[in-house]
Amino acid sequence: MPWRSLPSRRANITHVSPAAAVEATDVRKRFAQIEALAGLSLSIHEGEIYGLLGPNGSGKTTFIRCLGGLLRPDAGRLAVFGVAPRVAVSTGRIGYMTQAPALYAELTVDENLRFFAALQGVTDVERRIEQSLRTVDLLDRRRSVVATLSGGMRTRISLASTLLHDPRLLLLDEPTVGVDPVLRRDFWAHFRGLAEKGVTILVSSHVMDEAARCDRLGLIRGGVVLAEGSANELVARAGTEDLESAFLALAEAKA
Amino acid sequence: MSARRVAAVARRIVSQFRHDRRSIALLIVAPLVVLSLVGALWGQTQNATPQVAVATDRTPAAIADRLVASTAIHGQKLSFDEAQSRMREGKLDAIVWVEGTTLHVETEGSDPIRNGSTAGAVQRALAEALGSLGSAAPKIELSQLYGGTDYTLLDYLAPVFVAFFAFFFIFLLSAVAFLRERTSGTLERLLATPLRRGELVLGYLIGFSVFALLQAVVIIAFTVFVLKVQYRGNLATIFLVEAVMVVGAVSLGLLISAAARNELQAVQFVPLVLLPQVFLSGFLVSLEQLPSVLRPISYVLPLTYANEALRAVMIKGFALTDPLVLRDLGILALFALVLAIGAVASIRREVA
Repeated sequence: MPWRSLPSRRANITHVSPAAAVEATDVRKRFAQIEALAGLSLSIHEGEIYGLLGPNGSGKTTFIRCLGGLLRPDAGRLAVFGVAPRVAVSTGRIGYMTQAPALYAELTVDENLRFFAALQGVTDVERRIEQSLRTVDLLDRRRSVVATLSGGMRTRISLASTLLHDPRLLLLDEPTVGVDPVLRRDFWAHFRGLAEKGVTILVSSHVMDEAARCDRLGLIRGGVVLAEGSANELVARAGTEDLESAFLALAEAKA
Repeated sequence: MSARRVAAVARRIVSQFRHDRRSIALLIVAPLVVLSLVGALWGQTQNATPQVAVATDRTPAAIADRLVASTAIHGQKLSFDEAQSRMREGKLDAIVWVEGTTLHVETEGSDPIRNGSTAGAVQRALAEALGSLGSAAPKIELSQLYGGTDYTLLDYLAPVFVAFFAFFFIFLLSAVAFLRERTSGTLERLLATPLRRGELVLGYLIGFSVFALLQAVVIIAFTVFVLKVQYRGNLATIFLVEAVMVVGAVSLGLLISAAARNELQAVQFVPLVLLPQVFLSGFLVSLEQLPSVLRPISYVLPLTYANEALRAVMIKGFALTDPLVLRDLGILALFALVLAIGAVASIRREVA
């Protein structure tokens, strides 16, 4: 197992009760003709891995970008740790990993991480860079220019760059797309390790086999949550064999 | 506003350039290549002695002899008709004849610059001729308020080239750099951090100013020490004008990057932004010579004020405290401010 856990600056903070990390109530967002979010409501507890599951164009990325403070909802209430998303972002409580690795290809891994650490106001830069790179098992590529890294490595560096400031909520937009099975397994092991330290993780995916690894799932389609619960709960509720058919059954029942 | 985040952005721009040696080379080498060409082209004073015919059938012989003897022109005696046909063949620059008290000079006229120097040479030849005749020759003494008779065209053009290169390269590089930020997804990533839009723009301005000033130092050193361009005025003032202009150029680059969807489109904006500044900013044609219809346009081009200020400092030796220089600096600062605010506004979090 190449993954080692990332020591958290808040390792000693105990979580008394599962408070809401994310609270969304009737969130709406429209782009010209398309209603991307049509009254989406969900709540994510602190310290859980929440899977946002749905087909392409169901509103997953739009919702994540609202949480990352990049989009302003047209209507509804959206709170991250009880404050507006932009406030949570500017106080360093959110880590956002974009769908495609957003790195400066001509810079080295170290230069990229140093840049993002400075933006987040990280004080013990050396130690945090080392820890983040150890977490994604790329410490030996610290001096490499990003353009020379493979796609999978870039995804891992991208993840490392979102962990530098020790965020309390991680937004991962389809983090395992284009990632090989071994690396995907490692990623999930690491997500679990972070969650155990109290980090809340929101993962979007359209791959059903990843859903079983989440604590809770939100099935989303047409910009609304069709059903919410653990994988087992959803399968039981739909009375189907697996999650994939459960999703289809729940989608049809709603339509 | 966090100085640390602004510094982080500026430092990143510098690091990116350090890795991209080719862009640095272009930034520095390209202007030097062009300036060397310009230097070779316009660096020498035009002293090719013009071929002038004195029309013997229309000119008193005494005057004709003395005109032909003048060293200011390559004179020859021909009949008027013969001279006419010679000029059509391109073998003559001018024909001279005297009628009563009037001296006629007909120049070839197809090349305005050559035309001017021919007229000057004939004038000098006539002064010589009349002087040696002992008649009441009008004594012509040439002097200039600025520059000097030893100034070449390059001396007059160097200040505007300095401004033009800084504006052109920095505008293009910042437009493409920011466009890549938009298209590669890093802008979205940046906006999901505590970084504010104003801090991002300020970081870009500082990062690019470093390279603009580096370029200016090299260009000015090259023109002074290699091309022997004659400068007056204070170097610090020259750099100050450059710096203020560059802030406007970077902001304009960021603004343009919002309008372009890819790097090819960004490059296509270059002539639109640059050509009006070449033609209308006093670069090639002075503002006073511009048609009145076009003059309002030149007043809204930043390069107009940069050119005026740099010429005032470099050729006329004006100080920073001169009202003209201060006024131009103020206008450039206003341009920079408005464009920078526009650049901040063009970065929307709502990037679809």
